[in-house]
Amino acid sequence: MDFLIKYLPLIFDGFITTVEVTIFGVLMGLALGILLAIADLYGGRIISTIIRIYVEFFRGSPLLIQLFIFYFAIPDLLHMRIEAFTVGLLIFSLNSAAYQKGYIKGAMEAVFEDQMTAGLSIGLSKAQAIVYVILPQALRLVIPAWSNEFCSLTKSTAALLVTGERELTAAGRQIAGLTFRILETWIFIAIIYLIWVSIMMKIVDIVYEKVKIPGIEISA
Amino acid sequence: MARHVGKQKKEAVRTVGRKMTDTLMECTDLWKIYGKIIAVKDVSLKIREGEIKLVFGPSGSGKSTFLRCLAMLTTPTKGEVFLKGECLTRPGIDLNKARARIGFVFQHIWPFRHLTALGNVELGLRRVLKLSKKEAGEVAMQALREVKMEKWAHHYPGQLSGGQQQRVGIARALAMKPDIILLDEPTSALDPELTGEVIDTLRDLAKKGTTMLIVSHEMPFAREVAEEMIFFDEGTIIETGPPEQFFTNPKSERAKKFMARLIKRTKRE
Repeated sequence: MDFLIKYLPLIFDGFITTVEVTIFGVLMGLALGILLAIADLYGGRIISTIIRIYVEFFRGSPLLIQLFIFYFAIPDLLHMRIEAFTVGLLIFSLNSAAYQKGYIKGAMEAVFEDQMTAGLSIGLSKAQAIVYVILPQALRLVIPAWSNEFCSLTKSTAALLVTGERELTAAGRQIAGLTFRILETWIFIAIIYLIWVSIMMKIVDIVYEKVKIPGIEISA
Repeated sequence: MARHVGKQKKEAVRTVGRKMTDTLMECTDLWKIYGKIIAVKDVSLKIREGEIKLVFGPSGSGKSTFLRCLAMLTTPTKGEVFLKGECLTRPGIDLNKARARIGFVFQHIWPFRHLTALGNVELGLRRVLKLSKKEAGEVAMQALREVKMEKWAHHYPGQLSGGQQQRVGIARALAMKPDIILLDEPTSALDPELTGEVIDTLRDLAKKGTTMLIVSHEMPFAREVAEEMIFFDEGTIIETGPPEQFFTNPKSERAKKFMARLIKRTKRE
C-alpha cells in the first residue's frame, strides 16, 4: 500500500472533515435534542405536532434527499449559495437531533413522574427540577445510545460526497480514480472509518463508566 | 387580634389571602375530583403548632391525595388550604415558595437517585433557600445527623437500604426547616426491621416538637405520639379523636371494624 503514502495528506483532510461533521452533529444534536424533548413534554399539542413532523421528516426520508433539498433545492429557490460543509453541519445536527430527541424524551419519561414530584416537594420550580433532577438522570441513561449515534452518523457523512465536499469517502474516490488501485484504496478507507468509529465507541464507554451512578443504569 | 376575628370578618380577611388564627395549617371544605372519581370529599382539618396528627384508613381511601392537596403537589378542585394564615390556594401565589415551607416524605421514598445522601439534602438548601455551598453542606450534614445518617452522607441511594433511603428522605424535608412535615405512609414500603429505624427517627422528631401530619398504620407508634387520630374512608374524615378513643371504643362502625382488623394484624406481627 506504499502508493497511499503520497495521498496521506488528502486522506487526512477528508478524515478531519468527517470527524468535524460527526462530532459537531452529535453535540448539536444533543443540545437540540434536549430542547426538543423538553418542548415536546411541556409545549402543548401544537408544539408537539410540529416536533413530530420535524422528527418524522428527518428519520423517515433518505439522507441523500435531505442533502439534495438543503444543498441544491433550497439555495436555488433563495438564489443563494451555501457551503457544502455548512449544509453538512446543519443536516447532520438536525438529523441527529431527531434521533436523540427520542432517546432523551424516553429517558426523561422514565425518571419523570416520581422525581419531578419529589423535586417540587422541596420547593424547586418545574424548570429547576428538570435541570437539577430530571436531566442529570435522563442524560446518564442516554449515553449508551451515543455509541450508536456516532456510529451511524459517521457512516452517513459519506453521503456528503454528492455535494462535492472533500470528506473521507470523497478522498477515497479521488485516490481510486487517480491510481486505479481500487480495492486497496477502499479497504484502507474502510479501515480508517472502522478505527475512528471504534475509538468513539470506546470513548463513549469510558464516559458512561465515569459518570455512572449506582442505581441509575439501563436495566437490560 | 387573631382570635377575635368574627365569622363575618373572616370572609373579608380571606379574600386578601390571610386569615388570622393560631392554627399552623388548616384546610376547609377540600375536594379533589378526577373526572368522575371523587378522591377527596369535603375535608376540613386544623393542625396546631407542635401537634402530631395521624391519618389512617383503608388503602384507596384518598389519604395520599389528601396529603398531596395539603402540600399543593396537586391542586385541590375546591376548598382552601392555609399555612400560618396564608392562603395557599389563592390564585397568583408562589407555589414553589409555599411548597418549600411544607416538608413531604413519600411512601415510595423517591430520593434523587443521582445524588448522594448529602446531595439529596443539599439540593433544596442551595437552589431554593439559596444557601452557599458551605452553609448548605453544614445544614445538610446536621439534618443527616438528626436522622443518624451522617455516616452514609456520601453514599448514593442505590447503595442504601430502603430504611436508610427513607431517613434521607426525612432529612431532605427536615433540612428545609419547614413549618410542618407531611408523611405519606413513610414505612409501608419497608420490611418490619427497617420500619423500626424509621419509626425511631420519627419518634425523635416528635420529641423535638416537630409539627407532623402522618399517614400511617403503625398503631403502637400512633398511640405513643399522636395527639389525635383521624379515620379516613371514601375520601373523607369519618371520625376523629384521641388514640385511646380508637383503641378502646371507636364511635363509628367503619372505624370499629377497621381497628379490629389492624389490631389483629399488629398482634400477628
